[in-house]
Amino acid sequence: MSAKGDTPAIELRQVDSTVPDGPGRRTILDGVDLSVAPGELLAITGPSGSGKSTLLAIAGLMRRVDGGEVLLEGRATVELRDRARTALRRDRIAFVYQAANLLPTLTAREQLELIGHIRREPRREARLRADRLLADVGLAERAGQLPGEMSGGERQRVAIARALMSRPAVILADEPTASLDPNLAMEINELLAARAREQGPATVIVTHDEISAGLADRRLHLLEGSLRTSPEVALRP
Amino acid sequence: MFLALRDLRSSWRRFILVGLVIALVAMLSTVLVGLTNGLVKDGTSGLRALPLTHLAFQPGAESVFSRSTLDRTALDAWKAQPGAEASPLGASFVNAASVGKGPNVDLALFGVAEDSFLVERPEGRAALQGEPGLVLAEEVRDEGVEAGDRFRFAGSDLALPVLGFTFAGSYGHVPVGYVSLEQWQKITFGGSGSDRFSAVALKLPSGSDTTAVNKAAGTELKTKEQAYSGSPGYSAETATMSLIRFFLLVISALIVGAFFTVLIVQRTNQIGLLRAMGASGGYIMRDGLGQMTIVQVASTAAGGSFGVAIILLLENGPVPISLSMPGVLAACAYLVLAGLVGSFVSIRRISKIEPSVALSAGQV
Repeated sequence: MSAKGDTPAIELRQVDSTVPDGPGRRTILDGVDLSVAPGELLAITGPSGSGKSTLLAIAGLMRRVDGGEVLLEGRATVELRDRARTALRRDRIAFVYQAANLLPTLTAREQLELIGHIRREPRREARLRADRLLADVGLAERAGQLPGEMSGGERQRVAIARALMSRPAVILADEPTASLDPNLAMEINELLAARAREQGPATVIVTHDEISAGLADRRLHLLEGSLRTSPEVALRP
Repeated sequence: MFLALRDLRSSWRRFILVGLVIALVAMLSTVLVGLTNGLVKDGTSGLRALPLTHLAFQPGAESVFSRSTLDRTALDAWKAQPGAEASPLGASFVNAASVGKGPNVDLALFGVAEDSFLVERPEGRAALQGEPGLVLAEEVRDEGVEAGDRFRFAGSDLALPVLGFTFAGSYGHVPVGYVSLEQWQKITFGGSGSDRFSAVALKLPSGSDTTAVNKAAGTELKTKEQAYSGSPGYSAETATMSLIRFFLLVISALIVGAFFTVLIVQRTNQIGLLRAMGASGGYIMRDGLGQMTIVQVASTAAGGSFGVAIILLLENGPVPISLSMPGVLAACAYLVLAGLVGSFVSIRRISKIEPSVALSAGQV
């Protein structure tokens, strides 16, 4: 259960999820319970097709469940309408993707300013905050560059800064270092872990990578639709 | 339009093709407005030039002069209308054969009384009051007709000299010629003429209640603009042009709609990403519609400007074309509107794109 704080940042209770499969449906998640405290870094590992991305989509309020409940900072979300779920994503949840998923026509600074624009933040305030976050991830000099002009590591650092832009309660990272070489992967993992701990959001990293998982406060393993405690529990460095 | 403006800045090449097509449609639409206006002017400029506000026709004439014959009873009834000026007007199409070496010409022959309010210029009154003769539209001079040339009218033994030329315009695409009402009646009815004419030309104060007088006169009252429809070919020409312009609007809406659909399909991942970030459907739709509005307004303005240039280039040539800025602006506004309707139909796809697309997206 929660490592820090009383109310979990994100909590899944007995979540079921299925997908259409021929005439019937195939179970992806089967009665999954999960609770992540504010400031906690959780790694979820599991083989391909085990439902890691589905779990992330459900935790990120992108996908509806077939059963169970998803609570964000203690608030039940399953019965919420799409509009309310969208607003929660905007204000309380951020994603870091496998590919950085930056918009190709926006500069690094604009990637962050877009979050401010969606959240209707004052433009000047959003710009100052974007510059500060880019400086935090070591990209102050690259603020005016387009994604096509940056390296893979730089793009992923912009993605992390973008995730922090909305001051989220939860960051959900889907294999954030899968497309990077080991040195860069370590750099990005450390950055993500450090920023998460400094700024306080609960962070869930779905990964195949043992090194990434090793940086987490806690590890869980997803297998055949169920979450189990991973045998190798890493200690925080 | 945070994203729309930056997307246009970075990916403007993507919008060139659709912009070019919209610009071409706008150019064509503008030229069609010019042609419609030119044809209308060519068909009715003679009537437009007359300082009247209404015309009273024989009932059932539907503004066609050749279907209308009135007499003094109708004229006297209209003269009794308070504040009204009423004058008989004869109008018919004739072929004028040159007596001599000059060319034969077709004329829309208007017969007006010498003291009519329709004849505003003193020299015009003098011409109609003096020796019987013709005052012709300037266009006829371009055909080689000169003052003093004599013309005999088909179906009549009457031969009249050309007294001079004036801006008389044309009616039914035929140059207008003026004669006195008396001469017009002789040409039209033969012999010593008859005291009949085609319609009563009226200058009515605005807001006049004409119901009783119209009934007493036994006439069918038309405004000047309504009377344009009696010009030969007017309705067919304007209907044809309107139909072509309508098809252009439909084509424009389809082109923009198709382009926008492709654009949305291409941007499925991007839209999914925006939804994952918490952007509402309305935010994304406003952004997309804003972008298409910018593309359409810019392209329509460019195409419309080019169309205006073409009209100005052709305006004094043989093609009946005439610039009407209100008409051009209205046509361009309709084009933008049609494009927006096209965009709006396809933009509904955005609401069907799931945010979870972002998890499998492959943006940079």
